[in-house]
Amino acid sequence: MKSSNKGKDFCVFALPGLFCFLAVVMVPFIYGIYLTLTDWNGVSSVKNFVGLSNFAAVMRDAQFWKSLLLTFKYVIAVVVLVNVIAFLLAYILTRGIKGQNFFRAGFFTPNLIGGIVLGYIWQFVFSRVFVSIGETTGWSLFEISWLSTPNKAFAALVLVSVWQLAGYMILIYVAGFMGLSEDVLEAASIDGASGWVKMKNIILPLMMSSVTICLFLTLSRAFMVYDVNLSLTGGAPYGTTEMAAMHVYEKAFTSRQFGVGQAEAFILFIIVACISGIQVYTTKKREVEA
Amino acid sequence: MNQKKIGGTKKKVTDALAMLLMIIVFCAFMFPFVMVIINSLKQKRDIIKSPFSWLFTIKGLSFDNFVKAFNQMNFLNAFKNSLVVTVTATVLVTVLAAMLAYYIVRNVNVFSNIIFALMVASMIIPFQAIMIPLVSVYGGTLNILNHRLTLIFMHTGFSMAMSVFMFHGFIRGSIPLALEEAAYIDGCTHTQTFFRIVFPLLKPIISTMVIMNAMAFWNDFLLPSLVLTDKKLLTLPLSTYSFYGTYSADYGTIMAGLLLCVIPILILYVALQKQIINGVVAGAVK
Amino acid sequence: MRKKFSARAAALGMSGVLLTSALTGCTFGFASDPDDPNAVKEEVPIDMTTDTFQYDTSLSGTSIVIMNTKAEIQTALEEIAKVFEEKAGVHIEIMPVTDGDSPYTKVVSLYNSGNPPTLSILDTTDVIALAEEKAADLSNEAWTGEAEEYLTKINGKVYSFPLCIEGRGIIYNKSVIEDTLGTEFDPSDIKTQDDFAALLQSLRDNGMKNPISMAKEDWSLGAHQLQYIYETYNGTSDGAAEVINELKDGTLYLPDYTRMNEFLNTFDLLKEYNVAKGDPLGADYDEMAIDLADGKTAFWFNGNWAWPNLEEAGAETTDEYGFLPYFLNNDPDDFVNSKIQASPSKQIMLDDIVATDEQKAAAKEFLNWLVYSEIGQQMVVKTCSLIPPFKNNPNEPSDPLSRDIYEKVQNGGAFNASAIVPNDHWSVLGAAMQKYLAGRSDREELIDSIQAYWDEQ
Repeated sequence: MKSSNKGKDFCVFALPGLFCFLAVVMVPFIYGIYLTLTDWNGVSSVKNFVGLSNFAAVMRDAQFWKSLLLTFKYVIAVVVLVNVIAFLLAYILTRGIKGQNFFRAGFFTPNLIGGIVLGYIWQFVFSRVFVSIGETTGWSLFEISWLSTPNKAFAALVLVSVWQLAGYMILIYVAGFMGLSEDVLEAASIDGASGWVKMKNIILPLMMSSVTICLFLTLSRAFMVYDVNLSLTGGAPYGTTEMAAMHVYEKAFTSRQFGVGQAEAFILFIIVACISGIQVYTTKKREVEA
Repeated sequence: MNQKKIGGTKKKVTDALAMLLMIIVFCAFMFPFVMVIINSLKQKRDIIKSPFSWLFTIKGLSFDNFVKAFNQMNFLNAFKNSLVVTVTATVLVTVLAAMLAYYIVRNVNVFSNIIFALMVASMIIPFQAIMIPLVSVYGGTLNILNHRLTLIFMHTGFSMAMSVFMFHGFIRGSIPLALEEAAYIDGCTHTQTFFRIVFPLLKPIISTMVIMNAMAFWNDFLLPSLVLTDKKLLTLPLSTYSFYGTYSADYGTIMAGLLLCVIPILILYVALQKQIINGVVAGAVK
Repeated sequence: MRKKFSARAAALGMSGVLLTSALTGCTFGFASDPDDPNAVKEEVPIDMTTDTFQYDTSLSGTSIVIMNTKAEIQTALEEIAKVFEEKAGVHIEIMPVTDGDSPYTKVVSLYNSGNPPTLSILDTTDVIALAEEKAADLSNEAWTGEAEEYLTKINGKVYSFPLCIEGRGIIYNKSVIEDTLGTEFDPSDIKTQDDFAALLQSLRDNGMKNPISMAKEDWSLGAHQLQYIYETYNGTSDGAAEVINELKDGTLYLPDYTRMNEFLNTFDLLKEYNVAKGDPLGADYDEMAIDLADGKTAFWFNGNWAWPNLEEAGAETTDEYGFLPYFLNNDPDDFVNSKIQASPSKQIMLDDIVATDEQKAAAKEFLNWLVYSEIGQQMVVKTCSLIPPFKNNPNEPSDPLSRDIYEKVQNGGAFNASAIVPNDHWSVLGAAMQKYLAGRSDREELIDSIQAYWDEQ
């Protein structure tokens, strides 16, 4: 596309998609930023400009920072586990074992169910099925519901998120592995590279573009976890598992501090943007051309 | 020769181990679904008191939950709504995102860099942050809520960034410029080149994006609940929420309804699985 | 007060009916299916023969929307809407609210979208937040005279229609208690906290180790239990408002407030005999209903809205269930030891911004119809199983829990105190209560967090 007609190309290729994106995402987002500077409560017909006082209120909201800290813990756990598990499973599933398509489909199924419903299913599993197993077998691990102690409830959240996200990432890693040229791998085998060495020196560098994508996706999704948080634990027990996105929602609608909630959402956005930016920058640098 | 043989045996052993591992992980992945299937056939009392018991040990095994779910969801109508929205939005976003990504990859300048950066950044906007502004703009100002087209448009807009991001990576990595240049020499226009040469080569990533987007649209709850209030337009996830009562949930019906919602998308996935493989194979032959 | 959503599909495509009946060979219509244990309500016959209500024929053809946040009456409301349409020619669409968003969120987003419902069923706090900005003034409606003490007034004006009275306390299952103890049980014999403690102990001695079910949900702990400290100040809404104001401006020191300590004594008592003592935060709401109906427990702290759950669990309307008060001390003359808390819980608000004059008139007619027409009166009580706050409604509720509340309201056995607390009270302090229930915090910490909550307001 090096020739003339720049303007026409832009209109044909870029404009329609760009228009959808700008109209649906950017316009409300910018309007939302404007709202953080007002005292609007979500319903009122008057909006008074209040400057940065909503942001000052965010600074005072200890619960928000606590939920943010918890979100960091959660993100680290989820990102590491999801990517390690998905990478390994995708590797195994591209080696031509029997029924690999079946397995791929199976691992993906958690994604076929929306987050809220998924949370309810797992809530049922944790609070009823596991407890019922505990009663029958006497295993102390399942004696009481996982959702009633803070640490186990947190573990439950991580587990469910990993369970759901891993299938998604497997798909991307599988696509990556299948894009690897057989020649390169074969050449490596002939050179005598095997097992771990092959993985570390040849496969991993070639897979870096998939890794970049998967890390970015898990990172952003984990930071914004809401559905599963709401339906699995709802912040319980006693508010110890309330993550940032859920806190934002609660602040805006349950506590009815719309401007503050909106400001918190904006701060969350800035934080996630910085962290993902750093991640993409560092992993991109390590990508090599195949 | 000899070495090859040893390698073969070794491969067999590792394959068997891999297989075993896969089966174990697979069971762990499937466990909640098995629970859903088993319990969707039970009565509420048995679900609560003995969720783990197998079917033959309890009395009330029945398909009642499915009948009830089917009825209460107004399944056929909700299915039609979901289908229309999902198919249209998926086609739209796939084509538009592929074109936009192609444009960005082939026109490297400040402007396209800004667009791309903006899109990537937008992927981390929490939906809650734009929820109310969104309805104020589209409902309050433009007054176009409660139409399927609006929902389709919004789905397209919301998934645009992610789709462009994925297409961008694929086009940059796997589509050789030489092919297109050959096409231009043959006298093809940009549009023709894109649709005849580039688009078919995108097949693997298209399959992936189709399944990912279709699934997201099919399951989405929050956005449709904001856009659609007219009962005739409700999508499947919206219609299953009738089973969650104020103080307690009707588990049996929920699980039956859930299965009814999942089956169509599961079929799509299994169908596209093949496509993904074929696409990759076709790509490798080039 | 987590509200979940209930929608019910209207018509079903004929092919679907054929297909599914062929598959299952089974009859349709779950409400009348006798084999279906999930069928909650049986068809209650409504006497349609008398109808002296004056319909305004000019409203025929108008269409209005009601947003329903009381999921359990969704089907009943749809039925009412159908009857009303037949009678008055006004079409009513019942819009349910989902669990994904709270009623308030929904109503806010609907107002933002310029498409608000004509009538919204909301909680009192929601009405207070929205009324002056969005709602029509209903002060001059005739029905205000029928429910004088149950009206919510904002700066002297009435903006909402009280839909129902709900009462809560300690639900008992009479036959279970009698079977366990082997003696007659008369709830009126239990007059003080000590009496109640003795009853619990004798149940324990007779083999029922832990006779009480206690919900772990934050709405139950944070709203239904904790709010007793405001409501029992003197048993009136004004008293509750007074104590809340004192807490806000810091003139009331919570550790010295009698009701606070009395409340915690009672709470500790319930905690001690809680059937889920081993894992109080793992308690399951549905299981509580089953346990009470089965006789594994004898008590459940809850309200009359629990009836559908009990019925589902196997209880019959002829069984003897009723409420004990939330005993706070040992003074038999203190009203808290003899009266049940019962106040209006859901309010209907009429939109004043977007609704047309016809829609407003039709909506007002519908509200009047619920209060004054013979059919409307019956349907509120029988179809929805609600306890109407309107004196002129002659129908008695049929389920034992509502009947008990109804009788207590009629005979002065109830007090009506609504505490108007900030909207996040139940969730923030519900969490604090959960912590206390789980034994992860002591009284001091709990009281501190309540005090801290009010200091912030």
